[in-house]
Amino acid sequence: MPGLLEGVKVLDLTHYIAGPYCTKLLSGLGADVVKVEHPTRGDGIRWLGPFASGNSEIPSSPSFVKTKMPPEDGAWFLYLNTAKQSLALDLQSPEGKRVLLDMAAKADILVENFAPSGMDNLGLSYPEIREINPALVMTSISNFGQTGPYRDWKASELNLYALGGLMNITGEPEQEPLKEGMPLAQLGAGQNAFAATMAALMYAEETGEGQQIDLSIAEYATNILENALMQYSYSGQEYNRVGNRGYGRAAWGIYPCQDGHVGIIAGPDHRWPEVARIMNREELSDPRFVSRSGRLENADEVDAYMLPFLIENNKLDIFKSGQESGLGFSFVATMKDILEMEQLLDRDYFVELNHPVAGNLTYPGAPIMPEESVDAWVFKRAPMLGEHTKSVLDSWLGYSDKQVSELVEQCVLIQGQGG
Amino acid sequence: MKKPPDNTPLKNYRVLDLSRIWAGPYCTKLFADMGAEIIKMESLSVYDSHRGPGSPARGIAAYPDGEPGDEPWNRNGWFNCLHMSKYGVTLELTKNEGRRVFERLVSISDVVIENFRQGSLERLGYTYEELRKHRPDLIYVSMPAFGNTGPWKSYLGYGIGQEQLSGMAHMTGYRGEGPMKSGINHGDPITGSHAAGVLLAALRYRRKTGKGMFIDVSQQESSVALMGPEVLAYQMTGQEPERQGNRSGWYAPANSYPCVGDDRWVTIAATNEEQWQSLTEIMGIPGLSDDARFATVEQRRANHDELDEIISKWTISQEVYSVTQKLQKVGVPSGPVLRGPDLLKDPHYQDRGTFVTVDHPLVGPKQYPGIPWRMSATPGQVRWPSPTLGQHNSEVYSELLGLTGIEIEKLDEAGIIGTKPTGSRII
Repeated sequence: MPGLLEGVKVLDLTHYIAGPYCTKLLSGLGADVVKVEHPTRGDGIRWLGPFASGNSEIPSSPSFVKTKMPPEDGAWFLYLNTAKQSLALDLQSPEGKRVLLDMAAKADILVENFAPSGMDNLGLSYPEIREINPALVMTSISNFGQTGPYRDWKASELNLYALGGLMNITGEPEQEPLKEGMPLAQLGAGQNAFAATMAALMYAEETGEGQQIDLSIAEYATNILENALMQYSYSGQEYNRVGNRGYGRAAWGIYPCQDGHVGIIAGPDHRWPEVARIMNREELSDPRFVSRSGRLENADEVDAYMLPFLIENNKLDIFKSGQESGLGFSFVATMKDILEMEQLLDRDYFVELNHPVAGNLTYPGAPIMPEESVDAWVFKRAPMLGEHTKSVLDSWLGYSDKQVSELVEQCVLIQGQGG
Repeated sequence: MKKPPDNTPLKNYRVLDLSRIWAGPYCTKLFADMGAEIIKMESLSVYDSHRGPGSPARGIAAYPDGEPGDEPWNRNGWFNCLHMSKYGVTLELTKNEGRRVFERLVSISDVVIENFRQGSLERLGYTYEELRKHRPDLIYVSMPAFGNTGPWKSYLGYGIGQEQLSGMAHMTGYRGEGPMKSGINHGDPITGSHAAGVLLAALRYRRKTGKGMFIDVSQQESSVALMGPEVLAYQMTGQEPERQGNRSGWYAPANSYPCVGDDRWVTIAATNEEQWQSLTEIMGIPGLSDDARFATVEQRRANHDELDEIISKWTISQEVYSVTQKLQKVGVPSGPVLRGPDLLKDPHYQDRGTFVTVDHPLVGPKQYPGIPWRMSATPGQVRWPSPTLGQHNSEVYSELLGLTGIEIEKLDEAGIIGTKPTGSRII
């Protein structure tokens, strides 16, 4: 079966990370997602490595971008664009814009993550699009939102993480604030955009009324600060960086072990004797350590008693010894660990996808899986640039081969390889 | 009970919400923001541990002015930021009268959601099959840490652990140092948000087909899904990703730099040549723009330490907001590292209404994170503060189930419902 969202038409004007993750969830659930890309540059993330071919070239200057077609085998592009179709279309040209407006008239959803003035500059502002399709859901993802004094500020993940409040609380207190390694502000904003889009789609289907969703990545970050923000809001007491120790906690965080790092969770209090038993240290049974506040007062001492056991044992054994005793231990998984994790393999989490340029690779599958009797997800590789130009113009707009050829000649679109 | 405003997208849906802490509650928070009717059900003996201990030490958790007060479980900001616009009820599922009430609630709900340890509800006799007897087209979202099958299914996991088991922590950290946790339990909102979107797709599917479904959420799988690019990259290069601190593998410079004041930092990232040139101009350091050490992105990456030193010397005498303004004026991606007080009075967030003031009866008016996006036709709003324990028992049980005042009183006397906890289990 073709997925939960079979038949939903999505016009995808997204690029890089936040927007594409939103539309990846839509295409993964079977929506008909058409990714509109510039005929020669493509989605900017196509240029970013690493690449399956081993080429790690970084596009250091605009001239690089102009001189050749983008690579097809970058890890980021391949993952973020699974099960989408690529339409290579020049939106700057009047003909290209007309094609896009024709498609917008047919679409249920349009997702874009240009800078807030981007759609206006293309002559595709929400009021203009609403004219031709009042039921359309237009999801606009941007760094700071469509309004407000920072609307036009430039930002990378680093800046969004800082302005969203997440950075101040990550890292060691005596060192600089740290961002997380993955672009989780952008990816998380893409997730939330997906949820918002689904709700607006259901509303549009019930009432015939579409709308624009204005989702800011920085604002998304402020929405998940939870304890860190509430402590200040409630008590005026700031929440600071605490390194690898849980806030106001001890024996709660990441520790080194024999072959990597493990996560120790000393709680709830009545479980502490189990921790002492696992670590095989009489000293840990000291009444001073039995309560959360007692451990906090003596945090360094507690660590010192735990470390010998941790250093002598491997991450999987420590993880399991905790779990088998009912403690929520964890370990810091490497990419290799993830690919070999028995739990994920047992649940058939991964999918193998073959790509004409990138070859066979193992992809993380569905983030959430309904019961087997429901075919919720479709798994298909990411498209080559312009791979579906012809088929999409046929299925969405009924264009003939001749019409497509004319547009190709005018350099408005490109029919790419693949398929 | 209040009817949700007409122009909310989820006003026709009712969710029986047994979830706790953060992952499940973030999912139902997004639903509540969009007008769904959320019945948050807790047990008097094991209430949502995010409410905090029954008799906490001062300073633990987020209490108004640090004071836990007489009913600390109703005054904790951790809990109170996640349950606004939800109804709060209590019910003991271990007692027969409680089970009958529960089953009646299931029969009128579109969705049941829980994130207990795997098998907990099943041990009470409530499998999906059993629940469907009360509501044939029910959607049941079950989100244990590792899903409902597999060798680790009964293992425990929290948001902090999912950061590690998904590989996120492996990539986070200072250069040359060990892995670092984030400042939040990052696995939780990731799972909650994924669940909200997939649940909406399931509701839409049910609207078309009449069929409910069982949705098996592994919090771990949900987090690993965001690691996909690095999982592919590892297969391509055979190399584990390096921890890069605040730097980027794609452009340079990128880092946080010290400013005037204690623990004040500005982040700066030049993502292309044009931005690098603008940065050198605004810093006004002679010769920097054509210094051979920094001529290309590769060289800037190779000589990043020296570059960081130069930029730090420039930022150290500047104030975080004003240096950001200067940099933004010439189009250089930048931003202050905002702290709690900054966030709540930041002009941009004030202009957008990012944080909302809500008056909780046992807390008073405080600021909370609001609805995380704007919808032009269905704006939504925070409708009421997070419920105190069992606050809506009478309303929900009389208006939704038609129980009489006497019946509700009996449940209360039998300790099946109530507003005073009989125990707490806190991690």
